[in-house]
Amino acid sequence: MKTKTVELVAQPKAPHFVGDGFRVHNFIPSTFRMDMQRMDPFIMLDYNSTYRFEPSAKPKGVGVHPHRGFETVTIAYKGKVQHHDSSGGGCVIGEGDVQWMTAARGVLHKEFHEEEWSKTGGDFQMVQLWVNLPKKDKMSDPKYQAIKKDDIGHYQLPNNGGTVEVIAGHYQGVNGAANTFTPIHMFNVRLNPSATAKFSFPANYNTVLLVLEGEITVNNLEKVPTDHLALMANDGEEFSVTATENALVLVLSGKPIGEPIAAHGPFVMNTKAELMEAFNDFNEGKFGFLED
Amino acid sequence: MNTFTLKSYLTSNLGINEVDLNELTKNFKSKLVKKDEFLLRANEYCKQSFFVESGLLRQFSVDSKGKEHIISFAPENWFVTDRESSYFNQPSVYYIQALEASRVVLLDENQLQTIGGSIPSFAEFNNKLLHNHIRVLQSRINSLLGDTAEERYLKFIKTYPDVTLRVPLTMIASYLGITPESLSRLRRDLALRKTR
Repeated sequence: MKTKTVELVAQPKAPHFVGDGFRVHNFIPSTFRMDMQRMDPFIMLDYNSTYRFEPSAKPKGVGVHPHRGFETVTIAYKGKVQHHDSSGGGCVIGEGDVQWMTAARGVLHKEFHEEEWSKTGGDFQMVQLWVNLPKKDKMSDPKYQAIKKDDIGHYQLPNNGGTVEVIAGHYQGVNGAANTFTPIHMFNVRLNPSATAKFSFPANYNTVLLVLEGEITVNNLEKVPTDHLALMANDGEEFSVTATENALVLVLSGKPIGEPIAAHGPFVMNTKAELMEAFNDFNEGKFGFLED
Repeated sequence: MNTFTLKSYLTSNLGINEVDLNELTKNFKSKLVKKDEFLLRANEYCKQSFFVESGLLRQFSVDSKGKEHIISFAPENWFVTDRESSYFNQPSVYYIQALEASRVVLLDENQLQTIGGSIPSFAEFNNKLLHNHIRVLQSRINSLLGDTAEERYLKFIKTYPDVTLRVPLTMIASYLGITPESLSRLRRDLALRKTR
């Protein structure tokens, strides 16, 4: 087994607002060397670093918009989001919860700060990730996995080192709560000071580490501060993450799908013709209707 | 954001060789326009045509009650100008504004005439663009007078497949000459029929 080394450490870019409720730093695909092809199957990663929203009687968020061809994964660390979709579904994503939405052939949805949370305001920290679907599943039925904090299995690291919460994939015999279409590992790793967690993924799996709290050292070599993201190279399998202080790290690793990607706005397909079809179907109302 | 270049647009439309193309485009100036920035305001003289390489522009007028009327949108690969002002040298009644950060090629009216004089295929192409512009305007007048709101909306989405996702509904309603409430109702009815 070879060591998987750090290819680059990306600092958070200047934030921008998605709607008026998410203040995000985009890492994928806008960071140099982190385009959709390179990061496949992770085609978009927006990170809302901790940001204080003032109380608002009218919940802030993003209005009705469509998606087709991939999955959206929302991981809530601080704050609460209320979600509604065109199939009549809706749920609240609270601290520690994960919403895994398979847009597949198409949904309309909207995401706003949860009403009561919005009235008090507070710290807000979330990750939104787009996971690509293989061609054979892009036009399958949309579905949701509303994964509550308590449904996520934990692995206790030895010597009171901390925990690895397995959202997807598996770690040391603990299986992930989410079902995925292609092999994906997604963990929240909580480390106590100077604790180390070791990971092993196939060399070709595209892998990133996003530091949400504290600071870590990867392979005892590369420092990754809070709100920074380490892109791992495809040169080996094993790496270690050591906390220099209490740390929370999102670990993502996925097998590349390896198909052509045609992306425009909220649609990610394999060809330009399929993109045009997506726009056409959306405009003609084939994604359904959702009140603003 | 998708980016197109005027050069590749001309190559695919003109059947022109590399040398002529370089000669043709060497004096073209491009400009980065910020979101909400104006390229033309009412009462100014429009001296240029604008080709959108990336981003989105809109051309609109404001009536005596202060209400905006959107004449056209110009996403990537579209030209927009006020020919009335630029050709007949009259003050414009229109505004041209960026709805997104955009990269725009500025084509000077005199420059276009000069190029047309030296490269016949360009003169022919420019003539075709002008006739296409007339066709689009005629069809829009006809549609505004005779089509139902739904027919107008269906024509809009054929013309501008991705603009529905890039501008607020109020702007689409303004383009269609209906209220935002009517547009919302229309889209809901359409969706109910398509998904039933």
